[in-house]
Amino acid sequence: MSDLAIETQSLHKHYGAVRAVDGLEMHVPRGSIYGFLGRNGAGKTTTIRMLAGLAHATGGQMRVLDLDPQINRIQVLERTGLVIEKMLLSSMTGDDLVRFNRGFFPRWSDTLARKYVEVLEIPMKRKFRKLSTGNQTKLCLLLALAQGAELLILDEPTAGLDPIIIDQLLRVLVDDFANEGRTLFLSSHHLSEVERIADWVGIIDRGKLLLEARLDDVRANFRSVCVVGEKLPVAGEGDVFRARIGEGTTEYVVRANAEAFTAHLRSQGATVLDVSAMNLQEIFVELVGKGEADVPMEVLA
Amino acid sequence: MIIRVQPGLGIPIYLQIESQVKHAIAAGVLKLDDALPPVRRLATELRINPNTVARAYQNLERDGILRTVPGGGCYVNGQSPGLLKSEKLRRLKPLATQLAVEAKQLRLGREDLVQLLENSYDELNAKEPGEA
Repeated sequence: MSDLAIETQSLHKHYGAVRAVDGLEMHVPRGSIYGFLGRNGAGKTTTIRMLAGLAHATGGQMRVLDLDPQINRIQVLERTGLVIEKMLLSSMTGDDLVRFNRGFFPRWSDTLARKYVEVLEIPMKRKFRKLSTGNQTKLCLLLALAQGAELLILDEPTAGLDPIIIDQLLRVLVDDFANEGRTLFLSSHHLSEVERIADWVGIIDRGKLLLEARLDDVRANFRSVCVVGEKLPVAGEGDVFRARIGEGTTEYVVRANAEAFTAHLRSQGATVLDVSAMNLQEIFVELVGKGEADVPMEVLA
Repeated sequence: MIIRVQPGLGIPIYLQIESQVKHAIAAGVLKLDDALPPVRRLATELRINPNTVARAYQNLERDGILRTVPGGGCYVNGQSPGLLKSEKLRRLKPLATQLAVEAKQLRLGREDLVQLLENSYDELNAKEPGEA
């Protein structure tokens, strides 16, 4: 058994001339809570659809729970819970959907299904399409959890939900899923929730991963450094990810070894004004944001 | 004891948990043989991956601060961390440097800084009921 729940190698999906996914290399460790982040249109949903066997790859390799979803689609879906928009038959009620789904999954648990109806307060007698967005998401989650999945793939699970429901969802996901050592893969552009719950992040832009790391390492390593001096280093040297030259000061983003970097600057006679930590939002904007004339190196490479 | 984490702080979450446990012990909030919240419960409360909590507890156990009873949870250990004095000093050096830098920037004198540190240290000892 591989240590990875999901692995892709130079994964591609092209729609005509559009490269929705463009050489994606992703590694999702088993037991992780992996936040898959990107702007709208970055390739998140296309990637998820391929991982679930709902879309064919144009090229490259995928392994999901050690299986190829293009060949063993049914086996992958038996063991993977999916919460993807508009996947359910909208004229069925919650009760109908439970009856319909339970037959497909060998590890289905009625006890769990009943528990979530109660814990998440889901109205089960109403047609799916008449439920609020929050209740639709909760019902999808119920179906995914009751199926006894080893891997849960959630596409924008918190979109359109209020903070109380989001907190309820995160609680259920940690308590009943992560605590069992199972793997949670969620795409989002709501960074504050991901920053809390996830322990791994992958940041996708234009179909490629710009960053994939353990979130605690990102916290420890990414620093913004503000400097005054002459003949300062430029972006691309060592761990310097970006250099922004302002009036009198230069602001650096380094991805590791900030201490060594500042020591080097001081030894060159520069004055280091400030070294500060960066939250996920700031890092995301630095990586993905389109600064004028300072395109991230990975894109140039 | 209440543990809080701030995901956006730029400090690894496992380190935030470690330092809060150490602080609670130093301040006498957690005493010898007190139980820590189980990994699963703390993870659920904080909405974080249980692996992160487990990593913090493992590090604290490695340093002799906690002990784990197989299948029975995690407790505050009686022994002081079994580290050499040189290692203890090495760990505190960055904090001391930071304190000195801040003091200098605020133009706070050497005596005032030492006094401040002594006060903080005494405050902890006052709360601690003479541990063996």
